[in-house]
Amino acid sequence: METIDIARLKSGEVNLGTSIMAVQFDGGVVVGADSRTTTGSYIANRVTDKLTHVHDRIYCCRSGSAADTQAIADIVHYYLQIHTQTTGSAPSVHTAATMFQKLCYDNKDALSAGIIVAGWDKEVGPSVYNIPLGGGLFRQPWAIGGSGSTYVYGYCDATYKEGWGRDETVEFVKNTLALAMSRDGSSGGVIRMCVITEDKVERLFIPGDQLPKFWQGKEVLGTDIKKDADLAAAVAMAVDA
Amino acid sequence: MDSMRIVPARGSKAATTQDTSNSFGLHDTLQYGPRSLAAEVVKTSNVKDRLENWEATQDNLKLQMHRQAFGLHMPMRILMERKLVSQNPHMPALPQSNLHLDILMGRDETLDCPDFMVPVSEMRQPLDIHADMEKKLRM
Repeated sequence: METIDIARLKSGEVNLGTSIMAVQFDGGVVVGADSRTTTGSYIANRVTDKLTHVHDRIYCCRSGSAADTQAIADIVHYYLQIHTQTTGSAPSVHTAATMFQKLCYDNKDALSAGIIVAGWDKEVGPSVYNIPLGGGLFRQPWAIGGSGSTYVYGYCDATYKEGWGRDETVEFVKNTLALAMSRDGSSGGVIRMCVITEDKVERLFIPGDQLPKFWQGKEVLGTDIKKDADLAAAVAMAVDA
Repeated sequence: MDSMRIVPARGSKAATTQDTSNSFGLHDTLQYGPRSLAAEVVKTSNVKDRLENWEATQDNLKLQMHRQAFGLHMPMRILMERKLVSQNPHMPALPQSNLHLDILMGRDETLDCPDFMVPVSEMRQPLDIHADMEKKLRM
């Protein structure tokens, strides 16, 4: 007989309770995340900031174990400060992403961390790097991660177009995250976004009551009562005694 | 080595501890008696391994980062300085303190358990000065 192991069912919620996203556009990148941190089914923090500054124009989105990703982000932040002091200029996003990747790969047996690194540097311009669980490094025009991302791969594939400007990209990130948050139990709260360009980093905040709304579902059973009532009265049940 | 381990890795499942080894690395029968299998095959404790290797792992991570940022010379110089400072010309008499090493390791302004807690075995006079000198000189 098969028994359902409650502990294993809940383990997904502890580990990857997030929807994170980063999209590159012509002048920069937009990074976004939900704001829910869960321990089991309890929401430990409903206004978390998962967009972590590792350098002036490089941010990372964290998904997975909160402790693991904070530890890694701290180490990379420290390293990039040393790097800036010795080279005298800002590090490239590729440098930051490679550092994340080294840490994630060398510690892969102990970590549960999925990270998206995105930012702007003067060599390449905007770039987005995805570092999923095993510690691989993938540069992509857009990347989604966390447990909520599984629900929106289709939406993203169908909607994304190259050559968007800042506003269209922000719209895209906002809609994607709202859809992910509405379907994933481990994602929710508010949407936090950062728009990173050469000149500045602009933080955007969308509170929970102003999230874009999509089809919310509709109860079908029990609606057209009038029609069904006539039918029920007419039919007499034949019972064999 | 080249690894960027943040926390100590879990140890191998079966391990033998050589507390009774002589200078060749073999069991010292003259001093400790015949070998005992029960004493040799020890199941390592995860917590114990983690705690024992903690400082060394953090130090190694920092040195590795310095290697990547500055080049191989940086960790080399730091380790060289530590080695120079650890060469103690004195005999292994009881009170041993190395202020220079403490400064290099960054623990000159902190107080931790080893600073004020001395195990009972180390409070006694060293009866076996020869063994201590042997250990020291074979360093």
